[in-house]
Amino acid sequence: MKTLSTLTITPAGATLNGTLLAEAGITGLYRRFVGDYPKFFKMDHLCKLGLLGAELLLKDFTPEEKERGAVVIFNRSGSLDADRHYQSTLAADNYFPSPALFVYTLANIVTGEIAIRHKIYGETSFYIMDARDDTAMQCILDSTLLTSDPSFILTGWIEYAGEDDYIADMKIMIQE
Amino acid sequence: MEELIEQLKAQIIEVLNLEDMTPADIDANAPLFGEGLGLDSIDVLELIVMLEKEYGIRLSNPAEGKAIFASVATIADYVSKNRKK
Repeated sequence: MKTLSTLTITPAGATLNGTLLAEAGITGLYRRFVGDYPKFFKMDHLCKLGLLGAELLLKDFTPEEKERGAVVIFNRSGSLDADRHYQSTLAADNYFPSPALFVYTLANIVTGEIAIRHKIYGETSFYIMDARDDTAMQCILDSTLLTSDPSFILTGWIEYAGEDDYIADMKIMIQE
Repeated sequence: MEELIEQLKAQIIEVLNLEDMTPADIDANAPLFGEGLGLDSIDVLELIVMLEKEYGIRLSNPAEGKAIFASVATIADYVSKNRKK
């Protein structure tokens, strides 16, 4: 398996294959590189990061190649940021649970959002780990390649802990 | 009624995170679902919560929903007749 391209998104901006694309926040990157997917604004931060990463990494893939792709994402805190946001709508003195926030209180929604946007019909999975473990992550990716023979794997580590503390460290992997 | 319609447009933009839209972009008589704003089933749940939170309206009959949420104008008509606050 080899790495085709890499992307990192942090509060400092987005870097694609080692080249700084833009120094911008999440919404700034959306407006500059996507701009045509209003559903983006309804998403939680985890999904926004995943969607931005997919958008930048998959721009040269054909629809046929995307159909057979796989999406495998990892992180440590699951959907904790969305969980907290939803919890804030459950206050005893102001109890108006938000359905739109509730739908993002599940970490693997990010893989579904990416698959919907890009019409990816291969495996989608999300793994939560105590800490980033690149060896274990590679074992899972090897297994994905063996069991489903995707045209590529869009994978990475995505964490959101606040507007000054987030990372999407993503890459495209293909079979050698 | 015009004031209520404009207020509802602003509230819909806010609760549904329609960040690239302004009240002027929303036709009060255009369908909210399918064509028009293209809202989905989660959005309608969010609008139901908004009606309760902002106007004290609890929708007791789900069958009424389709007619109430047809457009901003139909929501405004329903709110004007049923609001508790």
